[in-house]
Amino acid sequence: MKRFIVRRIISGILTVLVVFTLNFALVKSAPGDPITSLMGKETDDPVLREALMEKWGLDQPVPVQYFNYLKNALTGDLGTSIIYNRPVNDMIGERMMATILLGLTSLIIAFVLGTLLGIFCARRDGSILDNTLSTISYATDAMPSFWLGLMLIILFATKLDIFPSQGMYNVRAGYTGLQYVLDVLYHLALPCITLVLITMSGYFRITKSSILQVTNEDFITTMRATGMSERKIFNKYIFRNAILPTVTMLGISIAFLVTGVSLIEIVFSWPGIGSMTLTAINQRDYPTLMGVYLVMNVSVVVVMIITDVLYAILDPRIRYD
Amino acid sequence: MKRIGTRCLGALRQDAQLRFGVIGLAILLLLCLLAPVLATVDPYYYGPDSLAAPGVSGHLLGTNHLGQDVFSMLVYGVRTSLMVAIVSSMLSGIIGVVIGGIGGYFGGKVDVVISEIINIFLMIPVFFLIMLIVSLFGSDIKNVMIVIGITNWSKNAKLMRAQALSLRERTFVKSAIALGETKMQVLFKYILPNGIFPVVANTTRGMAGAILTEASLSFLGLGDPNVISWGQMIYQGKQYITTAWWISAFSGIAVIITVIIFYMLGDGLNHVLNPKYNQGGNK
Repeated sequence: MKRFIVRRIISGILTVLVVFTLNFALVKSAPGDPITSLMGKETDDPVLREALMEKWGLDQPVPVQYFNYLKNALTGDLGTSIIYNRPVNDMIGERMMATILLGLTSLIIAFVLGTLLGIFCARRDGSILDNTLSTISYATDAMPSFWLGLMLIILFATKLDIFPSQGMYNVRAGYTGLQYVLDVLYHLALPCITLVLITMSGYFRITKSSILQVTNEDFITTMRATGMSERKIFNKYIFRNAILPTVTMLGISIAFLVTGVSLIEIVFSWPGIGSMTLTAINQRDYPTLMGVYLVMNVSVVVVMIITDVLYAILDPRIRYD
Repeated sequence: MKRIGTRCLGALRQDAQLRFGVIGLAILLLLCLLAPVLATVDPYYYGPDSLAAPGVSGHLLGTNHLGQDVFSMLVYGVRTSLMVAIVSSMLSGIIGVVIGGIGGYFGGKVDVVISEIINIFLMIPVFFLIMLIVSLFGSDIKNVMIVIGITNWSKNAKLMRAQALSLRERTFVKSAIALGETKMQVLFKYILPNGIFPVVANTTRGMAGAILTEASLSFLGLGDPNVISWGQMIYQGKQYITTAWWISAFSGIAVIITVIIFYMLGDGLNHVLNPKYNQGGNK
């Protein structure tokens, strides 16, 4: 077990290092010169250019720049945004909560609903409800999430006028306390519904198919033959075996939480990491982009390692691989 | 040749998903070829009626903010989507097959390094990487296709590696080695052709993924402005979502239908090519 964890951690560190290097290499090899875009088209003052080069450390040789960036990143400093002239750390920190709120809420709802429906349909395989849900899940899987968000805006915000289409809270009202919480929940509704509809189908399908698979295993037939009650077989043996792939999927979804949420954030102008990334893209703010990408990658790696270890505890077969 | 034909027909008869997928793909290809005939107006023509509702002045599905006919744009968009799907997934298929095949067949240290690389790529949030590359290097449609291709090979490589691992223990491969064929010959003549089937099914599903990725990129404003793509139509329609819903709505439906066709093809191929499904009769 210890060796397993150590191996996973080493591979995780390697991943982060590769991404870091890739990141650096990409930005370095990109066409265009950041100093020129900083100075603007009008001026071409060599003194200003030199000063800017020195300020951003671009006068150093590339390997030195690489190690400086690495050293800073290791101490938790992701650099400064070219556009806002503020530390990238602060910018990410401010936006993180909004993303986590939206991502985690919808993740939990999707997980619970999807798994329950999957269990329900696995026990009634081939029923009308099962067929309907399977068809719907095929369709939502093929749907661009941002498109579904737009359609929900048309339906619930424009036509029916039930939910707000944008933002995280009512800026004009200036609510505090409980009213603020309710207001945020009210704004959360539409983006959350979109994400739940998109992600639920995955849990639904994986739960259903793994329950069906375990039900067909020989040991379940044996238990049936011994006359054990159906309920006991299901609760104690089928469910506990079948839930494993669902747990893996949950882990992966938590790891890729920020990535999954970002497009939806953009549709609903939710003030999270996703909308920040879009702004950074449009303004060609590379330090911010690189910082976001690095933070995201580290969190993916950390959550993946935790999931793997948890999985190894739950399922001994993995450990002895 | 005739036998292959009958086997394909048999597979089509056996698997409903594959049948739907093949028919759907045929329709898409027809749309590609017949786009100039089917489109009512030149999709690049900026007409006088902007934001016309569906049905108004001969525009079947309305027009966008520049007066372009939405129906004609949809028809031409098939070309972009299919091109992105095929080019980028072929690329990821080839890279995956070669890397996975080498890792699984050679084994030992080579395999350790290659599986580590595969694992690293499986852990990278690919969409953000694509976004970063496209925003740095420009959003030309060629760039977009290449970037999607070179970032999505890891699953293919994993499948191919597993295949190569088991194939190299088989008698026919061992006899080929005993007969003195070089490692490269064995790899390309025996391992890759025999192990490629799961990769084919996965690549077909990857085509659906590529279409969705291109749409998402376009939605972020990172699409090629010189081609007509459904993702870009959704992006353009976003600004007019309250007044002109048809721009985004219909292009999204086109994406969904196309993606479902590729899903069906992929799942169908998986059923037909995967011996696990064939044994239990017809599913």
